[in-house]
Amino acid sequence: MSEKDNQFLKIAKAIPLNEQSPSGFSKRIMEEVRELHARETTMADERFLKLARNMPLNERVPYAFEKRIMAIVRDLRTENPFIIWSRVLWKAVAPCVGIMILTALLSFNHSRSTTDSQPLLSKDNSEENFEIDTADFETVMLASFDDLEYTW
Amino acid sequence: MESTEILPNDDLRTDEEIVSAVVGGEVDSFEELILRYQPRVFGMARKYFRNESDIEDVVQTIFTKTFQKIGSFKQTAPFEHWFMRLSVNTCYDALRRRSKHREQPVTDLMFEDESWQNRLDNIPDPDDQESLDKASELVHSVMVQISDKSRIVLTMQELEGRSIKEISELTGWSVSLVKVQAFRARKEMRIAVERFLKKEENL
Repeated sequence: MSEKDNQFLKIAKAIPLNEQSPSGFSKRIMEEVRELHARETTMADERFLKLARNMPLNERVPYAFEKRIMAIVRDLRTENPFIIWSRVLWKAVAPCVGIMILTALLSFNHSRSTTDSQPLLSKDNSEENFEIDTADFETVMLASFDDLEYTW
Repeated sequence: MESTEILPNDDLRTDEEIVSAVVGGEVDSFEELILRYQPRVFGMARKYFRNESDIEDVVQTIFTKTFQKIGSFKQTAPFEHWFMRLSVNTCYDALRRRSKHREQPVTDLMFEDESWQNRLDNIPDPDDQESLDKASELVHSVMVQISDKSRIVLTMQELEGRSIKEISELTGWSVSLVKVQAFRARKEMRIAVERFLKKEENL
């Protein structure tokens, strides 16, 4: 080794070790690692799907299964009387509502026609009529008590 | 005994004709519908449930519901559509009811004899019952980790190859809801598979 070479080595050794990594280097590596991992797992789920798709369809039916179902179905056919009763009640709902509406309309018309033909209350003597009505009401209410007096 | 006496020309009857007969009071005709549809319904139920008694319960509910609601079937669309929609909805209801009791940790679903990775790569041989059982166990382990709606959509879209529109018709959910659910289903499935693999790495 010449003197020049030794000098060069000396200088080379004297240079301090630069352990500095480029900025964002670890992030870049981690991105690659994640991508690799994702590719691997994607492959795993593709493998899973391949396996699942290759599973043959098992359409085996237990012996006399249809007989079992038919027995249940026939039991269902002999219905509970309460279910039949509730069905009848539901069917009666519509006619009952119809009758109710009709009765309400008739009574409304009737009350209107009586108020039209007998205008008992006028605006002027409404207070007077109210008093008369109250008196009548009292008489009617106390009529039963009056009768009780005679029983003593 | 009388239910087994199916006349040869009964095979020619359409679903709608049988439905009309059942609605008209011929209860025995309903057996024809059961015989016609039970393999398909069992096949469908086995995709959602693992336990054989659960599967039978669901199929039984589907047929009894069909009988009870058959009067409401409007003959404007094929019976098959109406029936399959009812079947899917019954399966979904059953899944929802069962999911309330379902709390299985991932560790309980790991396999003792074989690694999860290995099983994932073993495409089952249709003639080998053992490999089929193992694959079925794995598929079920992942599926129970997925929410009920997502499971329905994932099964129909990814395993049965149905379109979004078809799924929407079968479930009665809107197209946009099915799309959202399909996206979620895929994500949930990925997370479930990943969870198993991670768990295995840590063991």
